[in-house]
Formats: sequence, structure tokens, C-alpha cells
Amino acid sequence: MEKMVPLQVKADMPLADEFRVKWTPTIILLDYCGKEHHRTVGFFPPEEFIPNLLLGMGKVAFDGDNFAEAIVLFERLLADFPRSGAAPEAIFLCGVSRYKSSHDGKPLKEAYEKLKADFPQSEWTMRAQPYSLL
Amino acid sequence: MITWESEMTKALERGAAEKKPILLDFFNPG
Repeated sequence: MEKMVPLQVKADMPLADEFRVKWTPTIILLDYCGKEHHRTVGFFPPEEFIPNLLLGMGKVAFDGDNFAEAIVLFERLLADFPRSGAAPEAIFLCGVSRYKSSHDGKPLKEAYEKLKADFPQSEWTMRAQPYSLL
Repeated sequence: MITWESEMTKALERGAAEKKPILLDFFNPG
């Protein structure tokens, strides 16, 4: 939590309309310019909430082209919470971040192979399937 | 000790100063 600035707002405040919030709890990760990068709705147990925050922080870095930072955050998520619901998207985005850093297709193929092995039913495995051809 | 902000403007200012993202939590006041 020390890696973020926490902001708590009642859902009946005008800011909720600006962010099109329809249900609580809604958690949104913003960059410090106020741009949204990740959102969750509903309750998570701690073992899912923390990896979800790491995924959101990784997406803030990824969307800002800070791929080295994104890789660190996704790898931390995958090391500490390898079976969490956030893990498949983290594997996918970690592979893309590595590709963006190196322009080598190997990390994309590796991401697909890990997804296929660990999360064969995930939609992220489906999204990465074309990388099997690299 | 977590210091929660309650205003977006202050959170963004703090985020920019500390180079950190913002965790925005909308909750039901009940």
C-alpha cells in the first residue's frame, strides 16, 4: 500500500458519476494524472486483493511505457501469488512487456506456453495462442 | 500507518510528488 496513494470516496459523491461507478466496492487504479488503468468491482479476499493491486500497478507502468517497472510488478505478483485470479493476465502482460523491451518474440511464446501449462482454460491463454507460432 | 486521502485533488498532488499511482476506493456509506 505504501507504493500507492490511497483515496477513499463515498459512492454517492459526484466523483462516482465521473467514473461511472454503479456498484460498490469499486477499486480503480489511476496514474498520477488521474487516468484510469485498472478497475475491479466486488469483494476480494486478501489473497486475491493484493495480486489484483499488483496487476493494476503493473498496468499503470505498462500503459506508461515503463516496461521494466511493469515486469518487476508482474513478476512479483507471479512469484507471490502464482495461482491467483490475476496471474493469467500478469503472465500475458509480462510477456508483452518483455517483448516491448527487447523486440524479441521469444517472451511472447514463453508467455503462451506458461499460460497453456498453468491456465489452459483462461481467456488469456486464448488471447496468447497466436504467439505459439513465433 | 496508511494515510487515506479523501479528495481527488490532494491525492493527485501527492501522487505526482511521490511518483505513485492512486488507489481510488469507492465505498457504500451505508
